[in-house]
Amino acid sequence: MKVSYLHEGLLFLLLLLLQVLLLSRIALFGIVTPVVYIYFLLKLPIGRSPFHVIISGFLLGLVIDIFLNTPGMNAAATTIVAAFRGSILNLFYERVENDEFVPNIYSEAGSFVRFTVFTVALHLTLLFFIESFTLFNFLNTLLRVVTSTIVSVALILAVDSLTYKKKSGDQA
Amino acid sequence: MRNLLNFIIRNSHWLVAILLIAFSFYLLFSHNSYQRSVFLSSANRVAGWCYTARSNVSSFFHLKGDNRRLMERAAQLEQEIYLLKAEIDQLTATDSSKVEAFVLDTMEQSRFEFIPAEVVNLSFAGPNNFITLNKGALHGVKPDMGVISRQGVAGVVATVSNNFSMVIPVINPKFRLSAKLKNSDNYGSISWDGREVQQAQLGELPKHELFQPGDTVITSFSRIFPKRLIIGYVSDIGESKDDNFNTFNIRLATDFYSLRDVLIIRDAFYEEQKKLEEEGQ
Repeated sequence: MKVSYLHEGLLFLLLLLLQVLLLSRIALFGIVTPVVYIYFLLKLPIGRSPFHVIISGFLLGLVIDIFLNTPGMNAAATTIVAAFRGSILNLFYERVENDEFVPNIYSEAGSFVRFTVFTVALHLTLLFFIESFTLFNFLNTLLRVVTSTIVSVALILAVDSLTYKKKSGDQA
Repeated sequence: MRNLLNFIIRNSHWLVAILLIAFSFYLLFSHNSYQRSVFLSSANRVAGWCYTARSNVSSFFHLKGDNRRLMERAAQLEQEIYLLKAEIDQLTATDSSKVEAFVLDTMEQSRFEFIPAEVVNLSFAGPNNFITLNKGALHGVKPDMGVISRQGVAGVVATVSNNFSMVIPVINPKFRLSAKLKNSDNYGSISWDGREVQQAQLGELPKHELFQPGDTVITSFSRIFPKRLIIGYVSDIGESKDDNFNTFNIRLATDFYSLRDVLIIRDAFYEEQKKLEEEGQ
């Protein structure tokens, strides 16, 4: 139990630094920005209480906001996603007995990919539409959502396949 | 009653979620007070420290380009010195009293002072762009000071902590600045429509205003910037919100992609002018 909290904390920090120091500076073709910090919510063990998920989601969003000077924007999008995480999980995963089960690409790859795509798409739709609230530029925003989702999902799946391999290697 | 209580307890996480979301939206819509708060911005100590560390690493990779630019600048200044020396020589040769006047003139208190600063973080990926600089209150930086790059106007200081400051750049929808074409007397207003990083809009210009692509756009009346600073160059005519006015697209002089060194402008008369104007209202 304690070890998994430590893992969570480390993942939180790593994703935060990766996002604010590197990824948020990228604007491929002026529109594509990878946003992967939501990976933190994907990787929370399945039995975490909704409170835990919502509050850590909100904190992650808020810290990202502080670094990027975007008042409440990431916090709002991430909290909404965190609130619906349980429902989204139920959509793509059969009921899992083990509370400590962490969604990953090596068990039920199809479910994980669908879960990732859905969550990232929801998060980026919320994020980019909140962001462009004042500048109404619908098609451009939609294009940003779609392209950024593709790149972010690709990054998340790549990172997930890397980390899990290493973990199972450690255990062996 | 028991059922109701059970219902509330079972769904209390939704309540928490709604409260947190409401708080986020409160932050989102009260951005004015937010931007003045150091704690919740990239000017705070932890964020500033992280960005400085990253900037130290990345500046290493820019050494070559920076070196070349410095050499170019040195060459340019060298040439200026040569020209000025030649001028002084000529003046001393013709009339010694004029030289004295010239020297006295330069001793007059200068209105504008420049604080050199380095960009430690800069965003241009979305509409809400900002710049974090490595100079803060301890170096004499205050909110509402202008920031310029070597090429032209860059932005305005919004928040200051002891060692860092956060700047709203021209490429932020909240940025406004009064401006005009160099060879005209009509004033307009600079804003950014959030589409392209190197392109802003000069709006509210009279319909009859003529222009040539490449015309220089400079600052006009501003409490923050000295007059006649370069902002950018007209590229073409843009879409206008109002039929009575023209909007031009302008190519910004400051290259935000490679912005590293900037100058913060300290105006010795800023407080005096502000006070006077506020009293007048």
